[in-house]
Amino acid sequence: MPPAQQTLSKDRFGSLLTGVLDQAYGYAMSLTRNRADAEDVLQEASLRALRFYDTFKPGSNFKAWFFRIVTNCYYESGRTKKRRPETVEFDDVPRLYMFAQSAGAGLFDSGDDPATALMAQLESEQITDALEALPEEYRVVSMLYFMEDFSYDQIAQVLECPVGTVRSRLHRGRRLLQKALWQTAVEFGIVEKLKGQEAPA
Amino acid sequence: MTDQTYLTCEEMFRHLEDYLDHELRAEEVERVEAHLAICEICAKEYAFEGNLLDGIRKKLTRAKMPPDLARRIAATLDATPASDDD
Repeated sequence: MPPAQQTLSKDRFGSLLTGVLDQAYGYAMSLTRNRADAEDVLQEASLRALRFYDTFKPGSNFKAWFFRIVTNCYYESGRTKKRRPETVEFDDVPRLYMFAQSAGAGLFDSGDDPATALMAQLESEQITDALEALPEEYRVVSMLYFMEDFSYDQIAQVLECPVGTVRSRLHRGRRLLQKALWQTAVEFGIVEKLKGQEAPA
Repeated sequence: MTDQTYLTCEEMFRHLEDYLDHELRAEEVERVEAHLAICEICAKEYAFEGNLLDGIRKKLTRAKMPPDLARRIAATLDATPASDDD
């Protein structure tokens, strides 16, 4: 292969990688929950991506391709917690959990949309903490969905699992997240505050 | 047009999250939107869930990459041959 082609190929790779490194670091942090481990995983993934760059199909989604390598590096690194998946009880977390709780608390009576009002009152840190506290199988899928704006299909590519598994984990993860956010809103007096707001005359 | 064109509230409930995620086929989207146009309760649930997801998305913060990490990765890659350099 002529040298110009090799240089172009590596330069192009470097440019694509630079464009997704920040996001990939956030993803690595959500996997490892540890700065040193996230750095190691990202460095190993970058090297592996360079080594296997010829397996990337031009025109396909580089970010999803690289995130899959990050995922594999994480699972192969031995940094995954050697424990059984957490057992999560969903019976007490129905779908539309916050909608039902908001209706029960009378938040629809105040005039404003309760979802918008609740989210305006919750701090970024509280929302990020709630997501990061989800069990891993729900946290990782939710993170890819909320932070990276991946479709179900792209998340399935990144995690190398069926789309149905992504859908199920994402929907369940959202239910757990809604419950956690509602509990935070109650604990920090946000629900009481919104209940106290008078409806417009 | 058959009865299958119209979604019940139960069917709407099952489709809601996929609709919010733009994961429905075009014909399913049409049926969902036709239902939302005539059902105030489902429209209210849809608006609530949509605003909630938007609010979460806007407020989540990403861990910031240490500035020296990008430099270290770039240096390592510079010193490493690509797959087609072998």
